This record gives sequence, C-alpha cells and structure tokens, in this order.
Amino acid sequence: MVFKILAEYGTMLLVAMGQTLLLALWSLFFACLIGLFVGILSVLKNRICNAIATIFVDIIRGVPMIVLAFFVFFGVPMLMNDTLHWSELFGSKFMFTALQAGIICLSLNCGAYMAEIIRAGIESVDKGQMEAARSLGLPYWKAMSKVVLPQAIRTMIPSIINQFIITLKDTSILSVIGFPELVNTAKNVNANVMRALEVWFIVGVMYLIVITLLSRLAKRLERGLNRGRE
Amino acid sequence: MAVNKNNVKIHVEHLKKSFGNLEVLKDVSADICEGEVVVILGPSGSGKSTFLRCLNRLEDITGGTVIVDGHNMTDKKTDLNKVRENVGMVFQHFNLFNNLNVLGNMMLAPVELKKADKAAAKEEAFRLLERVGLAEKAEAYPAQLSGGQKQRVAIARALAMHPDILLFDEPTSALDPEMVGEVLQVMKQLAADGMTMVVVTHEIGFAREVASRVIFMEGGYIVEEGTPEEVIDHPRQQRTIDFLSKVL
Repeated sequence: MVFKILAEYGTMLLVAMGQTLLLALWSLFFACLIGLFVGILSVLKNRICNAIATIFVDIIRGVPMIVLAFFVFFGVPMLMNDTLHWSELFGSKFMFTALQAGIICLSLNCGAYMAEIIRAGIESVDKGQMEAARSLGLPYWKAMSKVVLPQAIRTMIPSIINQFIITLKDTSILSVIGFPELVNTAKNVNANVMRALEVWFIVGVMYLIVITLLSRLAKRLERGLNRGRE
Repeated sequence: MAVNKNNVKIHVEHLKKSFGNLEVLKDVSADICEGEVVVILGPSGSGKSTFLRCLNRLEDITGGTVIVDGHNMTDKKTDLNKVRENVGMVFQHFNLFNNLNVLGNMMLAPVELKKADKAAAKEEAFRLLERVGLAEKAEAYPAQLSGGQKQRVAIARALAMHPDILLFDEPTSALDPEMVGEVLQVMKQLAADGMTMVVVTHEIGFAREVASRVIFMEGGYIVEEGTPEEVIDHPRQQRTIDFLSKVL
C-alpha cells in the first residue's frame, strides 16, 4: 500500500516537501537577521534597547504560533482594509499569500528564540575580550563583529541547529492557513486514499530523512569551524 | 629614557569612582609624565586596578577629571577610541582574542583602524614578536600558549598600535611563578626604552628596580608616593609600613 501511494502521490508529496523547505529556508534567513538584531539589542548597555528586545521576545514566546498565524493571515489584512482603508490608498485590497504570512510567522517565532540564543552566546564570551578590543581603540561594533561574535557563534551553533530543526518542523503548523506544505498536502492525499496509517508513516519518514540530513550537515559545519582551535 | 617633567601625559584630579553604593576611589589626584614608570602598590580592594581602568575610560568616571595626552576623558565630545589608540593596556588575564592566532591578535587593531596595511602590519607584528622572543609562535592560537607567552603576546599586541603610554593591570598575577620573570624582563626592556608606563602589581622587586615613582594606595586614596627608596625602603605612613611588612 505504501508503494501504491508513493507511485500515485509521491511527486505531489515531494513538491510539498519542497514547499516546506522553501518556507523553512526563507524563515530561517529572516529569523537569523531578526535574532541577530534583537539579540544585540538585548546586550547593549541601553535600557530602551533592552526593553524592546525583552518585550518582543516575551510576546512571541507567549503566543502560540497557530494563533500568530491566524492573526497575521486573517487579522492583519482586516486591520489594513477595514480600519486603515488600504484599497483607497493603493487601489487594491491588502492581502498576504499563505507563503508570505507563513514566512512572517515563522521568522518572528524562530527569530525570538534565536535572539535568546544569540544573547546567551554573546554573554558567554568573557568580557575581557571586549575590554581588550576597546582598549586598543576599536569601536564597539568592530570589537563586537571581529572579536566577540565570532567566539559567541561557536558556542551558539548547537542551539542554533536545534532551533533550525524545530522551525523546520513548525512549518507544519502553517497548514492551518492553507499553505501547501507537506502536512497540508498529506491531508489531501489521505482524504483521497483514506489510508491514514501509510500516509502519515510516509510523511513521518520524509521529515525524518530531511532533518537527519540537515543535522548531519550542520555537525560537519560545526566541526569545520572548530578545527585548529583548542 | 629620561623623565620629561615638562610633558604631563596623564593628569588626574580629584578622581572619584563608585560602583553603586560602593565608593572605590574617593579622591585621587596624580600627574604622570613622559618616560615615567609609575608602579602602583596596595592591598586588594584599594582601588588601584579601578584607578588604572579609569585612565582609559574602561570604567565610567563618577567624578573629577582625567586628562590623557591633552584629551579630557570625562568630556562627552572626546573620541575615546582615538585616545585609546595611544594608550595600550595589558590585562591580568591576558585577554588575547581566542578566535585569532597570534598574528591575527596583533594585526587586528592596526589594520582595522587603518594604521597600516596588512603587509606592513604583519611585518611589524613579526618585529615585535622578535622583541618579546616569540617569533616562532606567530601562527599559534592563544589556547596553545603558556601564560607567560600569552602575556608577552598581549604586550606585543599593545605595542603594535605604537602607544605613547602603556597601562599594566597586574600583568604577572595570573602567571605561574616560573613565568613571571620572562614577562617582567619584557617590561623592564620597555621601561629602559623610555615608554611611559603605569603598572599595578604586587612585584615589589620590579617596583624597586624599575619604577621612577611608586604610589601606594589604600581605601580609595593615595596614601604615599615617592621614589622606590622613599616608599619601599623608608615608608613614612603607618599603612604603607603595615602593607610592606606583609608582602616583603
């Protein structure tokens, strides 16, 4: 039965896996930017920056992603159109594609966790490193980018890989707004063949393969970065 | 080599520094002239390290004035980075950049701050490593060096910026005893070459041999200062006598 389903729907599921990866990779890209930005806000010696970072992280962590997804996909367009009268300004109605909304949700979600990882990583670097760099006359950002961050990143890598894997799996939550990723597509396949056992087994194995490959790749990258040190 | 009394490199007036409610420096004034080697002695908690760290503004200054090379360090308009380029600092725990090898450590600031191009910075780094006796360690990472070697690299790194002034914050306190000598040797050579140096240390022998002036600090004040003969061999203040009787 598994092979029958694969023969008939295999391509469809592979395309869906491609959509899952597309969503995950874009989200990870933006999450890194958000994480770095918010992470640095939280280590600056500036209370306003710290407060912004804390509030952002607390909000994102405190709201389930499924709620965030509904809010972004259905709520935000309503705000734009009904309250802010978007169409009067720009001629057409404001709306997100499921991919756009998905990327926004996952980026925000993963970004908040990344920010915490990056903050912890930066704080794990001995403060003498920053002091030594500053005592040579290097400005804060140069000291941060050339001395502190390269050391922080090495300690952060295992946590970042972990977060990437979580985010890849969290793409499945975006099935609720109709994005044609793997879980959403598998639901449709299952509706046709009515074989939950095989369909979800196949989907599980597909995730397992992709995630195992990714974590292997990440491990290799980690080893490469650590080569020659300590 | 000679001390130039007409050229005051560091002028400190009524310096105060508090950490929260804890007042570490209560009222410290001092002038340090070109070519002077000033050794600061004192029990731990006397504020000597904090004093040193106020000189290049690694610590925010609570009150008073610090003027380095004519730049008012408490003035918001002063470009601290520019002043720091001329004031090297050597730390107790070396603080070599762990992500860079010895050459990388020495070339980072000169290249990033456009003091030299890469080739010139590298050449200069080798010259300085030669001077501290570590040319063969150019490619090594900090983790592969001994404490004494790390500290000599740290001194060479500070010298790579061609500073007028060097600050030493207990440079031998974290070293195994057999490595203290090699670091002090480098410092003596610098002193002989006429570098202006401010050294916080517990090495009384170094102070006696190299210092042009010794400052004894306790409780956030300068208790006594003068030549090594005056302060170390013939101290007048009871607190200095008590301290020296414990460490000598």
